[in-house]
Amino acid sequence: MPDEIQQLFEERLARYQAIIALEPTDRMIVGGTGSNYFAEVYAGYTRQEMMYDISKWMAAESKFAEDFPEVDLLRSGRIWAPIFDSVGFRLYRLPGNDLPKNTDFQFVEGEWMKADEYDLLINNPVEFLIEHRLPRVLGELKERGSARSYMAFLKGGMAYMLMAQVMRERVLNLEKKHGLPQPFQGVMLAPFDTLADGYRGLQGIMIDLFERPDKVLEACDALIPDSVSCAIATANPLKQYPIFMPLHRGTHPFLSPKQFDTFYWPSLFKAIMLLIEAGYTVRAYLEGDWTPNWHHWNEFPRGKIICDIDNKADISRAKSEIGNNVCLAGGIPDRMFILGTPEEIRSRVKELCETAGRDGGLILNGGCGIPYSTKPENFRAYVNATLEYGKYSDTIKPKLKKAPPPSVGKIPSRRVITPWEIKLREFGGVMGDETLIKEAWETFEQRAFCWLRFWDW
Amino acid sequence: MAQLTDLARALVDLEKDRVNAIVEDRLKRETSPLEIVKELNDGMIEIGERFTSCEYFISELMYSSHIMKEIMGRLEPLLGQTDLSESGNIVVIGTVKGDIHDIGKNIVVTLLKNAGFRVIDMGIDVPADQFAEKLKETGAKVLGLSCLLNIAFQEMKNVVDTLRRTGIRDRVKVIVGGQPTDEKVREYVGADYYALDAVAGVKICKKIYSP
Repeated sequence: MPDEIQQLFEERLARYQAIIALEPTDRMIVGGTGSNYFAEVYAGYTRQEMMYDISKWMAAESKFAEDFPEVDLLRSGRIWAPIFDSVGFRLYRLPGNDLPKNTDFQFVEGEWMKADEYDLLINNPVEFLIEHRLPRVLGELKERGSARSYMAFLKGGMAYMLMAQVMRERVLNLEKKHGLPQPFQGVMLAPFDTLADGYRGLQGIMIDLFERPDKVLEACDALIPDSVSCAIATANPLKQYPIFMPLHRGTHPFLSPKQFDTFYWPSLFKAIMLLIEAGYTVRAYLEGDWTPNWHHWNEFPRGKIICDIDNKADISRAKSEIGNNVCLAGGIPDRMFILGTPEEIRSRVKELCETAGRDGGLILNGGCGIPYSTKPENFRAYVNATLEYGKYSDTIKPKLKKAPPPSVGKIPSRRVITPWEIKLREFGGVMGDETLIKEAWETFEQRAFCWLRFWDW
Repeated sequence: MAQLTDLARALVDLEKDRVNAIVEDRLKRETSPLEIVKELNDGMIEIGERFTSCEYFISELMYSSHIMKEIMGRLEPLLGQTDLSESGNIVVIGTVKGDIHDIGKNIVVTLLKNAGFRVIDMGIDVPADQFAEKLKETGAKVLGLSCLLNIAFQEMKNVVDTLRRTGIRDRVKVIVGGQPTDEKVREYVGADYYALDAVAGVKICKKIYSP
């Protein structure tokens, strides 16, 4: 990588890290969104092309980065559709497949776990996933034991590894060619959302809150270790970027404040604390309106979290209520990017720079993303205005943070299906270096378990 | 809620077993199923009120609908040909084409039904001409358009344009709602009202039908 690109990359990353840590920076971040939908379609490819064709996706990212060189962060890719087709994943509808080619992919609500399966989920998640949930959510497994179902496991596993490779290439393309860091890497759902999204579904979980509340609580707690360890497995190994957390059912008014405090928050808090203690930061999308519940974010150590504030909530209020403890992102309504004028954007950016963003700790963004239908002139106005009004200092230059030391004993161990000890017994001992064999065995086992959880949502 | 019967109160308190027991008891005493349904409806109206005043949340709303659905499974065979849905002011509602999300819309449907409206729920991913046809067919004065995705603004506008093209725009009030909408979106779409949330949507429907 040429020196100047490397330097640009480090400057940008250091600025992002400083903002998350609520430390002083030279200026606001430009384009610091987690989900830049506009960047995905700016080059003119269809949504289907973006989700299926890797070369077009990379070309689109490069085109965006070249036309908006001021942008400081760009998420590389979200959905690589072939992996879902490889197993017939039933929770998404995909552009060009079962949606028109220029519509965004969408989530399908459903009951993918039965009410009487809580004990199995809690006590034997591997059996629960392989025997019960996956045959429901992966259409290719519908004929159990058939050649087609074995092929589905094989294809899904190959696609999983290929996707990891593709994502790595894209990340490197953005880093080495354009000096662009990622807004996050690795993902975790709130334990309650795991149940409420892709397991019991919204209808199911709402019944369970009243009819089997103890099981819901027990399951949320049981999900924590695997959720955390699988998130870390896909996170940035240098801990440079936050771990992404799209939070769905914590929004008001899904749950009463009492239900939120009882069912949603405790397991999420524990899971995030495990990540923080392991040296990671977190970027959480507070989707919908979190106003009555967001005070809980003050419970975390300061400067470890970004909360994206969605369209329905007030960024100024968020700033005054949690902005001393967590970094915030948001403030520009999606509607303004889509329907507004450059003048409106400019004046909104100016207002935010003079108020909620005056003392830092704010990333100007739409509601958890920059919308697809953003007018290019509005995005340009947002970039220019952020540079013009978002200046803090000519002398401060944030320094890149070193990866915190590993916190031994704090990270939950990664689950395996067949532990090495059992395999070793079956081998009847090994003749050479056991470690060499054991490490490879466990790596595959651990990755395979995270594959089972990959289909959570 | 002083005037509520014990059955309606059990429903409001979300006590499913008690609701079931009282219904069985009423049936044993040969209370007419229609009378039982009316009591339950009173309970649903009270639940809607509690949601409006933030005493209840979507969780309570959905659970009460679940109790009601189970009970109706028991009562409907006994009701014979009685059609409960043929009365009330009509609201046509749906999620516009291109968007398959319906949680928000379903909440509005529940609240509207609780408030005594006859709701024609067109579902999700509904094309503009189907809205227009249904409005013509039913003579409904209100159309509720819902979306979660901001890609739906253009389609909402298309629905309003279609109503204009088919000559029924003047007799239909259009309400837009959903996560990314606001007053400016309403203006762009050319709708009559923007509903900040489900409760606001129901209030607007009431206002349209009882000016």
